[in-house]
Amino acid sequence: MKKILAVSIIVFLLFVSGFWTKNVCAQDTQSGKTAMSDMLLAYYYPQTDAKSEISMRIVNRQGQVRERRLTMLRLNQTPGGDQSYYIYFHEPADVKGMSFLVLKHLGRDDDRWMYLPAIDLVKRIATSDKRTSFAGSDFTYEDVSGRALDEDAHELIGEEDLNIYHCLVVKSTPKRPDEAGFSYRKFWIDKATHLPLKVEHYNIKGKLYKVYETQDIQTLQDTPTITKATMKDLAGERYTEITMKEVSYNVGITSDIFQERLLRRPPRQWIGD
Amino acid sequence: MLSKVCSFIIIAFILAISISDVSFAESASINSEKIGNIPQDERKSPDAWAKIFDSVHGFIETAYGPKFLGDKLTQKNDYNLLEQRLQLKVAYRPQKPAWLASWNPEFFYKGDLLSDEYKEILRYQTREGYGLVSPLSWMDAKLGRQILTWGTGDYLFINDVFPKDYESFFIGRDDEYLKAPSDAGKFSIYSQLVSVDVVVIPFFTPDVSIRGDRLSFYDNFLGRIAGKESSWIFTEPAVQFENTEIATRLYRNLGEYETAIYAFKGFFNQPVGIKNESAKEVFYPKLAVFGASIRGPAPSVGGIASGEIGYSDSLQDRSGENRLIENSGMKYLLGYERDFPKDWRIGMQYFVEQMLNFDEFKANSQPGDIPRDEFRQLLTFRITKLFWLQTLEASLFSFYSPTDSDAYIRPRLAWQANDRWKLTVGANIFFGKHDWTEFDQLEGNDNFYIRLRYSF
Repeated sequence: MKKILAVSIIVFLLFVSGFWTKNVCAQDTQSGKTAMSDMLLAYYYPQTDAKSEISMRIVNRQGQVRERRLTMLRLNQTPGGDQSYYIYFHEPADVKGMSFLVLKHLGRDDDRWMYLPAIDLVKRIATSDKRTSFAGSDFTYEDVSGRALDEDAHELIGEEDLNIYHCLVVKSTPKRPDEAGFSYRKFWIDKATHLPLKVEHYNIKGKLYKVYETQDIQTLQDTPTITKATMKDLAGERYTEITMKEVSYNVGITSDIFQERLLRRPPRQWIGD
Repeated sequence: MLSKVCSFIIIAFILAISISDVSFAESASINSEKIGNIPQDERKSPDAWAKIFDSVHGFIETAYGPKFLGDKLTQKNDYNLLEQRLQLKVAYRPQKPAWLASWNPEFFYKGDLLSDEYKEILRYQTREGYGLVSPLSWMDAKLGRQILTWGTGDYLFINDVFPKDYESFFIGRDDEYLKAPSDAGKFSIYSQLVSVDVVVIPFFTPDVSIRGDRLSFYDNFLGRIAGKESSWIFTEPAVQFENTEIATRLYRNLGEYETAIYAFKGFFNQPVGIKNESAKEVFYPKLAVFGASIRGPAPSVGGIASGEIGYSDSLQDRSGENRLIENSGMKYLLGYERDFPKDWRIGMQYFVEQMLNFDEFKANSQPGDIPRDEFRQLLTFRITKLFWLQTLEASLFSFYSPTDSDAYIRPRLAWQANDRWKLTVGANIFFGKHDWTEFDQLEGNDNFYIRLRYSF
């Protein structure tokens, strides 16, 4: 009888501890999830479509600068869901005219194509790894197009002021950290605009390795928009500064343009020369 | 002499630009701290000439490709690549007159000035020179000299019947030069149901053939590896209305899969017909190709899978009985590519070339003819890894044919030192058992190459 009792207590303890650990690992609080969902919508999905002219400065440890200038078109296929992107490179000279078409899907790999004008080649690109650097910068594809809300557990861990902004602090823990390649991220989300002001990335060992910071927010067409931001790689002592030179919303991008023709015949009405 | 002078000028130009670039880079880094992010346009001089100059882009490149050991059969024994190149390109999009502007016109020109010290010539080539208009919202027309590409292969082509420059490929020029331009009209119609490309090529352009002057090869008239002594006479189809080549592609996406069917009527791009054996006169026989392709995500394993098939109809030897003309054939290609964390990428292809009417081929073969298999198989493997925030690319592409028992490997390192300078080193190495197979015949041309490019 005693044995049975002891065993049942142990089993109970194991059960409870298992449950408890699981909760610690992936504590998904409603407030955290709501904050993150608002952030994703404000950051990745503002308005139905957008045209942005983007400059990137990639600065390495030695202080050498590489620059990229590109135009990005975005269309939301469904609010908070699938999106279509088109990216055209203006600079540097050796990639001028190169373009990308990305059909972002929630729940499966994106469809991605690249066009190389010098050989008129439309190439399909494998996209299993979203941690690949975007155009050689410190931003990854995932940073540029976002992780799906359900891939992480989101926990509201406090409130903090950054400069003049009142922020919610949310800790996002991947449900499959090995796949994600990091242990968690900490977001400072502005309560007023829902935009992220700072994101700390912690590696698998729990060490801070990458920091995103918003430098400037402007309200364009009634939409609060991040116009300047940096991503710092702490170990590599590198950073990338990204500047939105021109952002226009609702310029009339339609879903039927996101096909092969867009790559072979860049839409000059939006991207200019 | 002329080429020496010109290469000297090009080198001087490279140096001048590179020096001015250094000073530019320094001042820019100082300026950017001070003036922050003023749009570039505002920094530019309003001068009209400056504006035109700004719209001109291109590169200057110097390349050297010494041969490993190699045979002493070609024009130069020690190297097969030594050249300086200046490429300029410019686009013009007229806003007037109104009727034309509404067609969204674009004129594009790209030309290469090549000081080729191997051939001791200075050559100017228009790589692209076309006008592109959209007379209707769902239609494009591209007229003029252009590069044409379609299909799913990686360095392997079934339905891409457009001209290639394998000489450039084998000596280590940039991949861009594997594609040779066509003088053509391309008409495209787009719809959600199916999109159509029709390419009309009135002026036949063959592949750049290997003729022995730069690359030694198996000369089947001589029955051995030959170099500059090879003396074939190439007869191209006459420029006539009925010799106009037509290539079409119908394509659409089915979910995440891209599907296409292709049809072509024209000529072989390789001189696979013999007109007169004793005169060593070869020609480009008539050809039709029908094919299909599909490409999309590989289920469950991730990555991109593709398949392509093509039937080559050798119109002047449909029975396969004429030993002087290539037989009809089937070509099959399966491809797979995927990426891995830390910028690794691998690609694999399995390619089969089936000779049709093989019994007739065998029955009509004569002693001295190149032996062939009914099924020629080829495997390719590509592995790429990027380092240093994607500024250094290490890659290895290899071809291996189990049926021909030959192989070709292309290792390459490309370093993007900054936004303007790029250094590429690589090698072309051929292996094999039999002198007459596709890759082994090039064994005497193994080279190492180095290219330095400045883009602007």
